[in-house]
Amino acid sequence: MTLRVRALAFLALIAVLATACAGSPTPGGGTGASAAPAAAKVAYGGTVTFAMNSDITDMDPMQSGLFVDRHLMYAMYDSLVRVTPKGDIIPWLAEKWTVSPDGKSYTFNLKTGVKYHDGSAFDAESVKWNLDRYRLTKDSRRTGELAPVDTVTVVDPATVKVDLKTPFAPFLSQLIDRSGMMVSRKAVEAGGADFTRKAFKAGTGPFILTEAVKDDHYTFEKNPDWWGKAANGDKLPYLDKVIIKPITDGSVRLTNVLTGQVQATNAITGKDVPSVKANPDFVYQEIAGLGYNSMYPNRSKGFLFEEGRYVKAVSIALDRDEILAKGPAQGVGTVGYGPIAPSHSAFDPNFKPFAKPDIAGAKKLVADVGKGPLKFEMLVSSGDAGTLQLAQLIQSQLAKADITMDIKTLLFNEIVKLQNDHKHTGLTLINWSGRTDPDGNVYDFVYTGRPNNNSAYSNKEVDKLLDDSRTATDNAKRKDLLLKAQQIFVVDDPALIWYSYQAAQLLTAKNVQGFAVFPDQLPRFETVSLKK
Amino acid sequence: MTQYILRRLLLMIPVAFLVTVGIFVLVRLAPGDPVLTYAGENNDPVTIAYIRAQLGLDQPLPIQYAAWLSKALQGDLGRSLQTKQRVVEAIGERLPATLELGAAAILISVVVALVVGTLSALKRNSVLDLVTTSVTLAGVSFPNFFLGLILILVFAFVVPGHLFPPGGYVAFVADPGDNLRRLVLPAITLATASLAVNMRQVRSSLIDVFGLDYMRTARAKGLHEGAVIARHALKNALIPVVTIIGIQIGAIIEGAFITETIFFWPGVGRLAVQAIPSQDYPIVQGVVLISALSFMFSTLLVDVLYAVLDPRISFGAAEA
Amino acid sequence: MFARRNPRMVVGATLIAMLLFVAAFAPIISPYDPVKVDVAESLLPPSGTHLLGTDDLGRDVLSRVMWGARVSLSVGLISVLIGFLVGVSIGMAAGYLGGTFDLLAMRVIDALLAFPALVLAIAITAALGPQIQNAMIAIGIVAIPGYARLTRGQVLSVRAREFVVAARTVGVPPIGIVLRHIFPNITNPLVVQATLATAFAILAEAALSFLGLGPQPPYPSWGQDINYSQRYLANFYWWMSFGPGVAIFVAVFAFNFLGDALRDALDPRLRRSG
Repeated sequence: MTLRVRALAFLALIAVLATACAGSPTPGGGTGASAAPAAAKVAYGGTVTFAMNSDITDMDPMQSGLFVDRHLMYAMYDSLVRVTPKGDIIPWLAEKWTVSPDGKSYTFNLKTGVKYHDGSAFDAESVKWNLDRYRLTKDSRRTGELAPVDTVTVVDPATVKVDLKTPFAPFLSQLIDRSGMMVSRKAVEAGGADFTRKAFKAGTGPFILTEAVKDDHYTFEKNPDWWGKAANGDKLPYLDKVIIKPITDGSVRLTNVLTGQVQATNAITGKDVPSVKANPDFVYQEIAGLGYNSMYPNRSKGFLFEEGRYVKAVSIALDRDEILAKGPAQGVGTVGYGPIAPSHSAFDPNFKPFAKPDIAGAKKLVADVGKGPLKFEMLVSSGDAGTLQLAQLIQSQLAKADITMDIKTLLFNEIVKLQNDHKHTGLTLINWSGRTDPDGNVYDFVYTGRPNNNSAYSNKEVDKLLDDSRTATDNAKRKDLLLKAQQIFVVDDPALIWYSYQAAQLLTAKNVQGFAVFPDQLPRFETVSLKK
Repeated sequence: MTQYILRRLLLMIPVAFLVTVGIFVLVRLAPGDPVLTYAGENNDPVTIAYIRAQLGLDQPLPIQYAAWLSKALQGDLGRSLQTKQRVVEAIGERLPATLELGAAAILISVVVALVVGTLSALKRNSVLDLVTTSVTLAGVSFPNFFLGLILILVFAFVVPGHLFPPGGYVAFVADPGDNLRRLVLPAITLATASLAVNMRQVRSSLIDVFGLDYMRTARAKGLHEGAVIARHALKNALIPVVTIIGIQIGAIIEGAFITETIFFWPGVGRLAVQAIPSQDYPIVQGVVLISALSFMFSTLLVDVLYAVLDPRISFGAAEA
Repeated sequence: MFARRNPRMVVGATLIAMLLFVAAFAPIISPYDPVKVDVAESLLPPSGTHLLGTDDLGRDVLSRVMWGARVSLSVGLISVLIGFLVGVSIGMAAGYLGGTFDLLAMRVIDALLAFPALVLAIAITAALGPQIQNAMIAIGIVAIPGYARLTRGQVLSVRAREFVVAARTVGVPPIGIVLRHIFPNITNPLVVQATLATAFAILAEAALSFLGLGPQPPYPSWGQDINYSQRYLANFYWWMSFGPGVAIFVAVFAFNFLGDALRDALDPRLRRSG
């Protein structure tokens, strides 16, 4: 995911962040075969309008770099595998798969008889074409996720074998989302440069995109031939039509829900959460998300934060509770310290290294360095009121530890460039919408020389632990390695300064059933129905 | 007359050239690198170089400019770096919203300005005149983004019934009633900024006209007062209207940037405001170019109409 | 007597004097530190302790409005100065020299006028970087055509007058003629122009700050503080934008009022009919 995505995701998150209540229910089951709407008899038909918090730019999974894009994709495309709200990977277009003992070869057995919305067949050939397109097209945004792939081979029309260059434990998790989404070759080739904005009839998913009006709405009609079934045997999907609307302003979005023009949204601002929770006409769900919010120091040689003790001084001086409660999250989400989020199986709830601000400790660290008071600047994207407010809050907290943080507003792109070139002098604010596998939250951000390692962090021990975690096939061992690495890159020799975890929200009208909230914050419409 | 128009058009060519150079340089002056944003996660040097070359951004600036200009002359403004949509298409999609807002603002502004301005001109130095001239100045001084906020707050919290929604856009074809309801607040906001100027314009040009020789002559010829107004003032009443619309076009383009941002109105101005931080060169260049050109042409049109309508202006001495 | 004849000028000048006073003495007269964050005090409605309430970081809105006057007035005055110096120089040179320079300079001025003023200011500030100095420069550049055209027109009309022609024939160098004989004759309309331009500059600075192209936080700026408040539209914290909004209005109004009055008093040729 790009910086831009992260920033946009952040904008979204000002609205989307939600407190992760541990015991939050996840009604309605969720996905295709495993879905289990509670009611015995579910009514078919009807239209649900869903509001997301900004407009998409790409419908082509290969081109997509924005979090919001994926709202549409889950309705129109199927991927090879999917994930449950708990984070377990389940069969989807791949009915089952086997992994070779050395962890380097994956064989997928595909569903048969599946057709794209345009009538062309989904088969092994199609899978190979899609995966090769994602990983080999020069300006594809998926090359990073599929980098471990060496070859894709068609074994027979219903079997595909993927060989990896090295064992890569998180490989399956890459196929949950865009890198595993299957698109009709015919539609892509016919669409040309416009495909990414007009991907009509391009997927095999439960809904068919029939209308796309930029900045206004996207209409999906039911795919009557979809293969998925609910746990009770019902043929899915239930709804006749789904409309997804981008509504950027939080209050406008909420008004639309309250007045019934929109039946569901996944972005509620923190200030509005108490009122929607109390409203008997609506159901508000909130679970822990996958994403985090953080600050990037520049740890390159010759820059101020090359000094790790300075990074740590800033980190321990922060009052994370106050940032969560009074910052743009307005209390939605949870306080956090590292990149491994509460909804990851590798999450350690006891990892709370900076539970209280340690002003004296911060002052001592700065004094230990012995170069006088700590003073630096934070780069903030101009015009983004939420981020500016956050920066000023952090500024006031650091001042208590005699740390002077100046705020410098720049155009968003300039910040991206400075970070990318490792030229920013102080801190930048970065948020990451998160990946189902913790590797997607960690590796690219702290491993030496990775493209998204914008803090130019390099720690041999961390690199070793992370490499081992990628090749480890045992989950407990992976968790252990990741947590060991986390202890180093958060506490001992900090790479970034993490301060909170994001949450996933879902607000639905009372008559909407079977709508589950997922940690990735994306809606799945196939199990959704309207109470008659 | 034809000669005058031709001369004005000829003079526009070097100006338009300077405008395109200015836009091109301005957009590229900003630090930062759009290719990085475009490349996204795959920001390894090879991919970045590939994308840069594909977009032609590795060429020297003069060559990029020549390529852009020659395409622009053929009506092709390129594709957005972000959405890959054709800029012409992107602008075309948003133009209806901007034009609708602009037309509504013109309507409000012209009607109110004509009525109040005429009354104020007829009853010069009356209380009404004094009030309107003061209100006029107050209006010019009112920041429209603040007015927009006040209107939103008032209709969200003070006036019951959510009469006018705080923002957002619904296409007219989709729901005419909702479309108009959403139009009211942004249109008032946009109209107010120029209303003040317009009112003053109507007042002073009517006062000028009333005092003119040919009006006096007409009266002296014994023409009935009604006939004087009908035959002479009517034609002259068009002058302020033309001027207003001329002023309004600039105000609409300007207002589009701010008013559309406040009210989440998916128009051309908002398109540009959103494209600025990510340096979507083609979009920013396209919108600014089109707004500058339409501004230039509307100014020309106003001058020509003016010359046609106002007997005092001779065509030769127009260029100052 | 002057005052009675021109109450608008008195009102305008008084308001401006008050603004200047607030800006100059903000450190002394503001009740609180405008950048002091105290989240326990955040979003309090107006009361005896905080006359205009507090913002989302618990800062006193009244104090921020007072300090914000410094930004607005200095941007207004400095950008007007930039526009004045550059615009008047171009206008004088073009009017006095004529010929090719005049032709070229006026085409550049036309090109500047081809953009709606605020759009140009936004574009320039975005290009130079979203900082307050750049906003000043941008607003200054936008103001250049007004001065340049006005000056050029005035110079053209003054140039042919006897005393200028006389000065030229006795061998006064061009620069001397311009400064000694032409400039004093065109100051009145320029003063009017500068006053009105200050009003525009303050409004433009507020708009730029509103779009995030103004001063660096936490420094108070009226436009930026209104931008902050926009996040709370659904919550009716009206006081966050009320103070800064009224302040912008008063400042712009004062300069417009004064400029309008000056136009009537100083420049009979530009006087509005009636």
